[in-house]
Order: sequence, then C-alpha cells, then structure tokens
Amino acid sequence: MLAYIGRRISALLVILFGSTFLVYIAQGYSGDPSQALRGSTDPHVKAQLASLIRNLNLNVPPPARYFLWLKGVLGIFVGHFNLGLTRDRNPVSTYILEAIPVTIRLILLSTVLAILIGIGFGIISALRQYSRFDYALTFFAFLMYSLPIFWVAVLLKAYLAISFNNFLLNGSIAPTWIIVASIVSGVFWAAVISGSRQKVISIFAIAAASTGVFLALLSLTKWFTHPGLGPIMMLALGIGFAFAITFISTGLANKAALRSSLTVVVVGFVLYFPVEYFLKKYASLLTILIMLVVTIAIAIGVSFYFAKVDRRAVTRTSIITSVLAGLLFLIDKLMKTWVPYINTDAIHQRPIPTIGQRNDLLPSGNFWFSFLDSVLHLVLPTIALILISMAGYIRYSRGTMLEVLNQDYIRTARAKGLSERTVIMRHAFRNTLIPITTIVVVDIAGIIGGAIITERVFAWRGMGTLFITAIDTSDLNLLMGVSLIVSTLAVLANLVADLLYSALDPRIRVVGKK
Amino acid sequence: MALFSRRSKVVAESASSDIFNKETEGLSQGQIVLKRFFRHRGAMVSLIVLFSLVTFVFSTLGFKIFGIGYGGWWKYKITDLPVLRTNGCSIELPGCPSLSLIPGKGFGLGDHPFGQDDLGRDYFSLVMRGAERSIEVMVVIGLVAAAVGIFIGAIAGFYRGWIDAVLMRINDFIITIPIIVLGGVVSYHFGNKGILFLAFFLGILSWGGLSRLVRGEFLTLREREFVDAARVAGASNRRIIFKHILPNAIGVIIVSVTLIMSGAILLESALSYLGLGVVAPDVSLGLLISQYQDSFTTRPWLFWYPGLLIIIIALCVNFIGDGLRDAFDPRQRRRISRKDRSAERAIATKK
Amino acid sequence: MSTPVLKVTELTVEFWVDGVWYPAAVNVSFEVEAGKTLAIVGESGSGKSTVAMSIMSLLAANARVTGSIKVKDQEVLGASTSLLQKYRGKEVAYIFQEPMTALNPVYTIGFQIIETLRNHFDMGPQEARNRAIELITMVEIPDPERSVDKYPHQLSGGQRQRAMIAQALACDPALLIADEPTTALDVTVQAEILDLMRGLRSRLNSGILLITHDMGVVADMADEIMVMQSGNAVEHGTADQIFNRPNHPYTQQLLASVPKLGSTQMRVLEPSQASAQPVLKLSNVTIEYPKRGRIPAFVAVEDFSLEIFPGEIVGLVGESGSGKTTVGRASIGLLPIKSGRLEVVGQDISGATNKELRQIRRNTGIVFQDPASSLNPRLPIGESIGEPLYLAGIAKDKELDKMVEDLLASVELPRSYRNRYPHELSGGQRQRVGIARALALTPDILIADEPTSALDVSVQARFLELLQDLQSKLKFACLFISHDLGVVDILSHRIAVMQNGRLVEVGNRDQILKNPQDPYTQRLLSAVPVPDPAEQKIRREARLASK
Repeated sequence: MLAYIGRRISALLVILFGSTFLVYIAQGYSGDPSQALRGSTDPHVKAQLASLIRNLNLNVPPPARYFLWLKGVLGIFVGHFNLGLTRDRNPVSTYILEAIPVTIRLILLSTVLAILIGIGFGIISALRQYSRFDYALTFFAFLMYSLPIFWVAVLLKAYLAISFNNFLLNGSIAPTWIIVASIVSGVFWAAVISGSRQKVISIFAIAAASTGVFLALLSLTKWFTHPGLGPIMMLALGIGFAFAITFISTGLANKAALRSSLTVVVVGFVLYFPVEYFLKKYASLLTILIMLVVTIAIAIGVSFYFAKVDRRAVTRTSIITSVLAGLLFLIDKLMKTWVPYINTDAIHQRPIPTIGQRNDLLPSGNFWFSFLDSVLHLVLPTIALILISMAGYIRYSRGTMLEVLNQDYIRTARAKGLSERTVIMRHAFRNTLIPITTIVVVDIAGIIGGAIITERVFAWRGMGTLFITAIDTSDLNLLMGVSLIVSTLAVLANLVADLLYSALDPRIRVVGKK
Repeated sequence: MALFSRRSKVVAESASSDIFNKETEGLSQGQIVLKRFFRHRGAMVSLIVLFSLVTFVFSTLGFKIFGIGYGGWWKYKITDLPVLRTNGCSIELPGCPSLSLIPGKGFGLGDHPFGQDDLGRDYFSLVMRGAERSIEVMVVIGLVAAAVGIFIGAIAGFYRGWIDAVLMRINDFIITIPIIVLGGVVSYHFGNKGILFLAFFLGILSWGGLSRLVRGEFLTLREREFVDAARVAGASNRRIIFKHILPNAIGVIIVSVTLIMSGAILLESALSYLGLGVVAPDVSLGLLISQYQDSFTTRPWLFWYPGLLIIIIALCVNFIGDGLRDAFDPRQRRRISRKDRSAERAIATKK
Repeated sequence: MSTPVLKVTELTVEFWVDGVWYPAAVNVSFEVEAGKTLAIVGESGSGKSTVAMSIMSLLAANARVTGSIKVKDQEVLGASTSLLQKYRGKEVAYIFQEPMTALNPVYTIGFQIIETLRNHFDMGPQEARNRAIELITMVEIPDPERSVDKYPHQLSGGQRQRAMIAQALACDPALLIADEPTTALDVTVQAEILDLMRGLRSRLNSGILLITHDMGVVADMADEIMVMQSGNAVEHGTADQIFNRPNHPYTQQLLASVPKLGSTQMRVLEPSQASAQPVLKLSNVTIEYPKRGRIPAFVAVEDFSLEIFPGEIVGLVGESGSGKTTVGRASIGLLPIKSGRLEVVGQDISGATNKELRQIRRNTGIVFQDPASSLNPRLPIGESIGEPLYLAGIAKDKELDKMVEDLLASVELPRSYRNRYPHELSGGQRQRVGIARALALTPDILIADEPTSALDVSVQARFLELLQDLQSKLKFACLFISHDLGVVDILSHRIAVMQNGRLVEVGNRDQILKNPQDPYTQRLLSAVPVPDPAEQKIRREARLASK
C-alpha cells in the first residue's frame, strides 16, 4: 500500500512540475512586467526598471528563470520556502498565506453541502425514476448546470439579500406567502416520499398544514426579529434527529441504536445550562472544537453502554446524532447573538451582506459577533456555489444509482428477504459511492476554478483575487504562487480520490497489495 | 423433423425477441437512435429552440462566409449611436426595452427591443452580436476538443502500451489543472488576437475528459471479436480504428461533446467576465454582463438579456446531450407509467 | 400425501412493452413436494426464468402476474411487502446463474451469509458467524475459517457458487429455486456442484425447483420434469416418462437435438489426405501473455504440438483457462508465439511480417464464440461478409454483392438479408453469418472457437449439420474448439485434450472417448452428464465410487 501511495505521489509531482512549467513559460513570454514602467515619464524610471529587473531576475530567460523559482519552492524541504517577490517587493508567501484560509472557507462549506444535498437528491430521484419529482429535479439540475455563477450572484444579491434584509425590518410574513410556502412544502414532501394516491394526499395535507402553522407561529411571535431555539425546541428537534438518523443508518428496528442516540440527545439537553455558560465564558474556536470532541466521546461512551453487539453501527448512529445536536447548541448561541449584532452601528439592521468576507467596521474582540459575521458573509456565496455545483452531483449520483439498482446483487439482496431500506442503503448506496467518490474529488479542480469567479463577484480577497491581480499586472511570481497552490490542491484531491477508491472497492485493494 | 425444428425455433426466438427487441425490428442502428431521441420530449423541444435561435441570431446582423454575405435584417449596427428613446419610457429611465409579448398595442419588437445602453447603442444588436460570438466560441471549442480528444483517446486505447501511458499522463495533466487558470493566462494574452483564436486555445485545453472516455471505449471495443474478425479479413489498423471501432464509440463521443459545448459557453462567459477573455470593442455575452452588472438596479434589462441567452443556449445543449445519451444507451428502457396502466385498464373494462 | 411446499396454479405473466402486453408465461401450473426436485426445461425465451422470478415476486415493474402461487399453503401473489420480506430467503431461497454478479462485490461472503441469518433469526453476530462457518463447511469450501472473510472476487467460480448455495441454505428454506445453477461452470465443477446439491437435498428435505436448459443436468437431478416452450408448459411428467416416452413433438425434438456421446459413426480420414502435408502444424509452441503494468506475464500454452491434415476436423477440448482458445487465436496470427514453430499451409507464421501475415490469413478463417460480439453492430451483415473479399482485392461493387449473396445462400440465409444489421438476426443466424464470412476466401483451414456455446440445443443441432455439410462440400480442414465433448464427438476425426496450457492427450475419436488413457480425460468424460436418468445414475455412482 505504501509503495502504491509513493508511486502515485511521484506521478503527481511530475504533473505539478509540468503544469507550473507551462504556466510559467506561457506567462513569462507573453506578459512583460516592465511594460507599465517603460511608458512612464517618471525621471527615476531607469533606476526603477533596473531594480525591477534585479528583483525579478528579468534578465534571465523564462525557462532558466523557472528553475530559479523552482529552487525557491523546493526550499520547502530544507526549511527555506521561497516563492519569490511580488512587483512591489513583498514576499509572495505572505499574500498567499492570507488568501488561502479565505478561499478554503469559501469552498469547504459549500462543497460539503453541495455533495450531501446533491447525492441525497440524486438518489431519491433514482428511486422515483420517471416520476414527476424525477422530471422536475432533472430540469432543475439542467437549469443550474446552465447558469453562469456571476449572473446568479447578482440575482441573489438583489433578491435574496436585499429583500430579506427588508423583511427583517418588520419580521412578519404575509398570509399569501404562508399559503404559498405551505403548498410548496406539501408538494415537495409528497413527491419525495410518494406512494399510493391516498398516501400522497395525506402526506401533502400533513406537510402543508404543519408548515403553515409553523410559519404562522414564527410570524406571530416575531421570531424572525428575535430568533432563538430554547431548551424545549432543541429537545424536540434533537429527538427528531435521533429518530431520522437511526432510521437511515440502521433502521428503527435496531433498538440499541435508537436508545443510544435518544440518550445522547437527552444528555445534551441536561447539559444545556452548563454548556451555555461555557460558550459564554470561554468563547473561542478552540472551545467549540473541544466541545465537539467531548460530544463525540459521550456518544461513543453511551453507545458502548447500550450496544453489546454490532457496536460499530450503533456508534456511527450516535455520533452523527450527537454532532447534529451539538450543532443545535451552536445555532442557538448564534441566534442569541443575533439581536445585539444587528443593532450594532456597523450592521444597522441589514444583516445579510452582499459583498466581502467580513465587516471591518464591527467592534473587535467579541468572538460571537465576528463568528456570526463570518457565517452571514458566507450565506450568499455558499448558496451560489451550492446551486451551481449541486447539479452535477444530482445527475451523476442518479445515473450511478440507477445502474447499481439494475445489478444482479441487488436482486439477490431482495431475494434474501432484506428490507427495502437495507437493500438501498447497505447494498445499493455502498456500491454507488465507489464511482461517485472519484467524480466528486476530481471535481475539486472545477470547484477551485469556480471559486475564482465567485470571489470576484462577492469581492472576497482570496486566491481568485490574487490570480486576477497577478495577471492584470503581469506579476509572474504572484501568479506562480497562486497556480502552484491551486494545482497542488487539485493534485492532492486526485490522490485522495485514488486512495478513497481503493479503500471503498475491495477489488482494487487487492491489486494495490500486489 | 428438420422442418419442424425450424418452425419451433422461429416461434421460440420470436417470442423472446418480440418482448425485448420489438422496437428494433427492421431498423438500422442509426434509425433506432433517432427514434429514441425523438421520444425524448425535452431534447426535441431544445433542438427546435436552439435551431431557431441560431438562425435568428445569425440572420439579425448578417454574416459573411467566403465572400458570400448577407446584410442582416436589423436596422442598427453595434457601432450605431441612435438617440436614447424616451417615448414610452419613464423619465428617469430613457432607453428602456420596447419588446412586448402581450398582444395588443405595441406588440412586437419595436424600436429597441432590448433597450439601449448608456451611450444609446442598440442593446438588441449588441446582444445578438454577443450571442453570435458565444455560439462561435462554443462550436470551435467543441470541434477542437473533439478532434484532439478523439485522436488521443483512440490512439491510446488502440495501441495501449507505452503510447497509452505517455498520452494518459498528458491527459492527467490536462484534467488536473483548473482550466480557468491555464485558460485565463492564455486568453489574457491572446484575447486580442481574435475570438476564434482564443476559442481554439481553449479547445486545446478542454479535451481531457473526452479522450479518457474514448480511450475507455476503445479499450473495450478492441477486445470485441469483430475487431479480430476484421483483422483476420485483412483490415489495416487504420481501417479498424475508423471503420470498425470509431462508429461504435460515436454515442459516447457525441454526448460528451455536447457537454463540452455547454461548458464552453460558460467558460467563455466566465473568462470574459473576469476580463480575461474577449476584449472590447468585440462583444460577447459574458463581457456584456460584466460591463453592465452594476446597472442591475437602475437598468435591469442590460443585465437580463445576455444572461437569459446564455442560459437558453446552455440549457438547450444540455438537454440535447441528455436526449442523445438516452438514445444511444440501449439499457434505458421506459418503465410502465401510471398513464399506461390506466389506459390498459380502460381497454380491459371495455372488453 | 403431505401438502406440497409450492403449488402454482394457472400462473400467467405478461410484460408491458411499448403499449402492448407480451405474454411470457401462460397458464402454468405445477407443484413441488418436499425432498423432491422439479425441473423446468426450455430454451431461451421459453419463460422458465420468468416463472421462477414470479415465485419470489421479483419481476420488473412492467410485469403483470395472475393466477395463484402458494408456498406451504400461504398465498404469495399480491402479498404485502412485509410478508414477502419474511418469506424470501427463509421459506424460499434462490440460487442465481452467475455467482460473480449475484454476490455483492464489496462485502465478504461471510458478511452476506450472516446478513441473511440475522435478518430472519434473532441471532448475535458471533453466533451467526459460527453458523456461517458451519454452512461454508457444509458446502465444502476449503479452509472455512479463512474463507468466511474472503470477497467474492477472491474465490474461484465454483467456490462462489458454493457460497451462493450456502447463503441460500442459511435459513433451511422449504423450497430452493436454482436458476441455471451450473451453466456458468466447467463440467467437472458442475458435477461437483450437482453432487453437493443432491447431497443437501437428502439432508435438508427441501423441495428444489431447478431451472435449466441442459438435459444432462435434468437427467442427473430431476424427479419430475416440466417442459416449456414460448411461455407454455407443453409437457409435464416424471423423469422416466419425459426421457423415455416423450409425448409432445417439441420434447421429442429437444431430446433429439442433444448431442450424445458415441451415438454417431466415427468419421475416418481418407488415406490420401492423411499422408498429405499438414495445413496446420504446431511444434512445441509456447504462448505467453506478456507482462502488462503490474500484471505479471502469464504462460497460457506450453510446449504444444499438433498437426491437422487437409480435410480433417480436429476437436480441441478443455475447460476454461486451459488455453484452447489461445491456441486457436495464435493459429491465425492473432497472438504471437513465444517459442516453437507454427506453420500454416507450409508457411511459418511466427516470424511473419504484417504483409506476410495478411497473405497467410487468406488461407484461414475463424468463427468466434459469441455471435453478439463477432459482428460489427454498425455494419450491415453483407459488408461484414464481403470485407475479406474486398480487402483481398477479389471483388468490388456489383460483383462483390453477388458473391456475398451466394455466400448467404450457402449458409441457408435469404439473399435479401445482405442489408440487415446484426441485431435484427437471431443468435443462430448470426453464427451462420460468421461462417459465411470465415469461408468467403475458401480457406484451407477453419478455426471454430466454441461456435455453438451461446446457442440453444436445437439451434446448435442445425448449426452443426450445416457445418458438416459445408465441410464435406468444401473439404477444408478445421480446428474445432469446444468445452462440450458431445459436440466435438459429432464432428471430429480426431480429438485433442488440453489442461492448464498443456496437451494431455490426442488420438482419434474412439480412442479418446471410449478408451481414454490420461486420468484428466477420464475425469472429464465421467463428469459429462448424459441425458438419460438411468444411465446417468450408473455413471454418477461409478464416478463417486472411483473417488
């Protein structure tokens, strides 16, 4: 296995070398960093030119200069990582180190959500092949697939952000909108669950009615201007999660899993006030991470108590439930921060921002303010990226699932008398994951490309912005810094794809061993 | 006995083939594909829409191919600067669109169907020229990528061995690099050499996925016995590649090229949006959106129309690709629908 | 008499295709008793698998089923999903034809057996695992403690089928449906699996519903037989009745089509031919599949020598992986040989250039195994047949069309078929097109690589007849490669037997079939089931006694 990884890594290094060389040569020959200076009338132009040439080694022809640059990059192995200087004589690495976390924040959340939602919908769509839901989703996916992201972004800014901000000034929903939302929700759930005509009608009625009542309550209690969950609501939601996760993960028949995940939720509920205190007193990212670890530890402990056999399935169920319940705590805390946050001068009652990655006017030092601020700045770009990249996952997972459902072993699984849930989740979904993994991870290259545009639209100062600046000013070292990072990310994603593939498919694993 | 066996065989085989191959009786492979394609409603509608759109777009401003030109039926050129239309517009918003799809007074295109920009230029002709450019870019990228991808995939899959290894490493390289980075660098410097030149370069960077698919097809097809049969019959490698294997891989190729094309139109618009693609005075849909995105709140039509055109073109191409995929994939069989069931029930009760 | 474990009454299954209901089974009724085996026999498309699948309620969504299916007096047709899930795998278990695709590739066989057990019984994982090992031991997979953790792809074909049987037997089902359980397996493995199933039947007292097209398998296993033809049950009776006193003409014809060992006169070569120069001569040939990537080189054929004289048919027999197809492909230069000498009509093929190879190939022809894959689906069959003539520069245009039509006529296909596409033809017709193409250049030697293995028996019988007619007319020599001794027996002057890449025995037909010297040949011969229950019983006991 180690030999296999080694072989893959060396192949990928060759690709990295090739790609950086190509970009270097293309840019090195076509862009002239001294062009702007040559036209200038500044009396010191000669000296400036000379220092530019000296700093950037412009007297060395590009192919040879590439190796000078490469020497700096390879310095990473001896502790002297050097990406060269930008035109204004700052080290490229400082810019890059600032930009990377911004871009990763942008990509990570949207990619994870797009994958989860996309695969989920794709599989439901495959299970309801040729239903209206399937057709509607197919159309939706194609539409998303055909949208230019910068165009969607403008629409989101205009309609979602600005209208939502306007709506928050008052916070009550008009009755017509409640009715529309209820009908949409009813149609959606009826289509997803589906079944006989009678069943569909009753699902529609239940979903529509509960949505309507729920929204009306939220509107009447001015929940939107004063949001919060509170312990009771959290307990209810937590129990809901416990049932839903158990159903998908092991089936409700597995009593140990159900008991274990319910217990986890109750434990969380009991700890409501201590946790609350903790989050207030020690507000930092580290606290959140520690609490995540504690949550998972509790889940493991509880599942060991309840499950005498099949501990893996029970533990898996409890962990997922506990993390989701933990997320509720975070949401609750953010909602409590909401009212003081929107009343600050910097926000001024318009919480959904349309550009930028943070609000610089916000008073510093308040962890929860800046946390909420980051989250809110993520809203629009994340929605835009999800909409765009979800479409591919829907189409691909639908196709793969349909193919797997036609396999003989699915028929065997049914012939064994397994329940439909087990057939789908354990036998079909597990096999569907194999091809999906490769496409998802290889897609990362595309997502990074998409992020460049998204950053530009939402005026984020990340890798994409650096890239465009670099090209515009013919700043070769900066450009190389960006493309090195971007290519490395893409190449690593490829490596992960290969490893996941061999982990998921026992047939590949054996070949790897040989 | 011999006579009997023939009859029984025909009965037995027709029973099975009737059930499974009924739709293929007496049709060539191509006809079957067409028939299945025509059944795909979305693809058919898209084909018609796309065809009419292309005709409309290219006839608006006219074109010139090999000296034979057609002037176009629209009264404005993109360089014309007519006065801003105030008649029918509110005072703050001169140059509003005159297009009306509501029957009655003012129905039709009017003077400036898509309105005018801040200089007074007719936006309809700008958008039409942009669409022309975008379609050209799409087709060129598609063709170049197809040519390169088919060639490399076919060679790699057919000859295998070290040729395959080398070509596939190049392919890994093309797939791994975000195209927008390499494309951005290339097009920033070649954008001014004309849009088709740019499209050609982008095409050269877009063949990665296609060649992998073609290679895969060739790897399976070359193991099929009809390839050996052709070799025994004395066919040369070239004949085997082009006459025997390629036609069998055509489904994969067509589907994948349509996907490249729909991606190409988005790629071009994204690059132009970033200022790395088509440069003024030339026009493309992406460039128009980028130039006028800030006018969204004041004069939204400058933003809507180029975007809608991109979406329509990309959507049509995607749907056509989907229809072709269904048509080429013999495993796709329509399941019994509820409508079929009720129709059947109705017939049964009449009896 | 006890109640039957399965009682099917007036079962009709129809499929909805493009607006019309197509019947796949019509008014089929039968019963299976505990400890007994009912075999449903028929050719492809007869509806036998459809009947089996409808018992499990596992038909595609476009099927409509009427009638009644009772398992131990419980109506199954239209039963609720939860009831079906309770009885599938527990009361009725299913063994599928292709164990490679029927087992989930990402789980170990142990996991898949344990899953079945725990689904139906309240059982802890350790207890289920022990039971799984017990089952694996019972189906005689070697080293059960380790095999339980193996993935399907790590097992041989026969072992996979045993794992499938172990999974089916996990819950002691009252009824076992075996759908072509041995079709994908070699004869010696088939014999072992059949022995295993027979042994298990007497131990577990389950009823068995056996679906098969192979009369030999039926003769070996069945107590009762139902013959199906295009959706109808044409005859139903005890094994003795069906085999010895068949009533329906279709049954008679089916039985007549099955090749029987030693039933025909041995064909003898004329002395003038036997003394002529051989048309194909392999001397100490070794063929190797070269190393590819990390897959090491593999010697497929080693030190193989054989001569074929003009007008002679030599049968080359062996099980899968024995290298017989490799020999055939090397003989027309499709594979390079590593060492030794291979002569076709006096010309050495081993060092030939591409141009010389093309010249040599004019004297050879090949018919492939799979009629679905051997014709280019995008070319009309006329073009496929005419390609050798066209490329050899013998004929063009009108003249070529005429020759193609003549070739079609010579394989008894209508001349008008020239413009048809392969998918419009049945398997048997396609295989005849394959012969026409192979014979287009009137070769001196024809390589026939398992040409009948994908065909139904009645189609196979007619195909063999045609091949014999053509051979006696055109006098070509033929290397006939097959795994089926019965087929080789009808055609061959001489028979060569291969095992693991080596020639184990060669001799004239009667020497090999009646008096085999090599133990492998003896084993192979004794494993072939004969379509006669009484004789098969004697053979089986003799085989088991000799073990």
